[in-house]
Amino acid sequence: MTIRGLRRLSKTCVGLGLAAAALVLPQMPAQAAGDLLVAPTRIILDGQRGTEIILNNIGAETATYRISMELRRMTAEGRLTDVSAEEANELERAAKEMIRYAPRRVTLPPNQPQAIRLGVRAPKDLPDGEYRVHLLFRAVPKARSVVDQVQQEDGFSIALTPIYGVTIPVIIRQGELKATAAIANARIEQGEEGPAFVFDLSRTGNRSTYGEIRVKKQGQDEPLLMVRGVAVYPEINQRKVSLQVPAEVVAQLKGPLSIEYYEPRNIGGGLITKTDLVLR
Amino acid sequence: MSKFIKAAVASSVLAASVMGANAAHAATATADARANILEELTVTKDAGTDLDFGTIVTTGTAETVTVGTDGVRAACVSVVCSGASDAADFSVTGSASEAVTLTVPGSVTLTGPGGAIMNANLNSSALTALDASGNGAFSVGGALDVAATQADGAYVGTFTVTVDYP
Repeated sequence: MTIRGLRRLSKTCVGLGLAAAALVLPQMPAQAAGDLLVAPTRIILDGQRGTEIILNNIGAETATYRISMELRRMTAEGRLTDVSAEEANELERAAKEMIRYAPRRVTLPPNQPQAIRLGVRAPKDLPDGEYRVHLLFRAVPKARSVVDQVQQEDGFSIALTPIYGVTIPVIIRQGELKATAAIANARIEQGEEGPAFVFDLSRTGNRSTYGEIRVKKQGQDEPLLMVRGVAVYPEINQRKVSLQVPAEVVAQLKGPLSIEYYEPRNIGGGLITKTDLVLR
Repeated sequence: MSKFIKAAVASSVLAASVMGANAAHAATATADARANILEELTVTKDAGTDLDFGTIVTTGTAETVTVGTDGVRAACVSVVCSGASDAADFSVTGSASEAVTLTVPGSVTLTGPGGAIMNANLNSSALTALDASGNGAFSVGGALDVAATQADGAYVGTFTVTVDYP
């Protein structure tokens, strides 16, 4: 078995009750207060009524975490941008209203995992479609005591505290939903961080697509470039996908290539779409 | 490696308990063992790193003090800057080659003595995907707008940075 295989084996294993999860959650090196682990990284509820998410304190100190529902929209560049409650459309408001979760605030000692239960109560007359929120897990910073604050005799001091966290998408599918994707317009662009392999990924249908991109030389099995977790959400019909090209791969990205878009392995790994092209 | 040993020990414990359950029943009985393998995501702030502009002494002229994502402070012209500067560094771990996006607010307001405020614009280094081992890192730097008549004292503010899984 390869090292990579071993790594996969050591992934968070949850099952046979939470006690088992506590046993096998990997011990991360102790870091600053507020460090966190979240699993899984994506939730799709297609008929299921609910699920559980594991939150673990991987910092060195006891920390309080808040869990909140956020809205994000995908841009044409594939970035997710924050959507405030006032800007929310009907679909986004409906998604927020049907999701229940608890606890919403939890204090955890180091290496203490906690299950967050999430349930969905879809209204009877809910129109078919894909509903989505992003669940935000973040640490609440400790209040600074006045004594701790550095008093400057002259000039001023600045204390900027980052609150950092993780968002994972929670997707609810209602009804029979379909989507197809297509790839076009592959090219090399020179970006600030070096050359990037860029193409347009379009989507049609009433749900999102999500999966793995593999860029291969035609006739070869080993991909030159690979990235997982490439999504096109229903709010957009087309996005740009940009893959950084390592220096040693630049010369090989020429001639007949194929770009393949696969579903994630855990739901079958089927081919969504494939395009052959010649890059000069 | 230690991770693997823990996982191996844990799975042998699970296996043992399943076999034990099996033995307690008739020899032909079957037992179901269920386990979900979940992908995980961690975010940690590197110890001892914070977005730090150092100490600034005003001289009656406005200036924007900039700390890059590499933690280096640009030369100050009309104010006096001293002390070490730093950017806030974060580490991300997750699935190999997984695409991620960052949400960093464009600006943050700091509040100081007597309701005085100061504005800082934030910027982060790019992180679009984790590497083949599932690791990624990014840094947050900023540009602090110091007014000509900025009141002395301690200014505090918070900003929220999120790693978004698509």
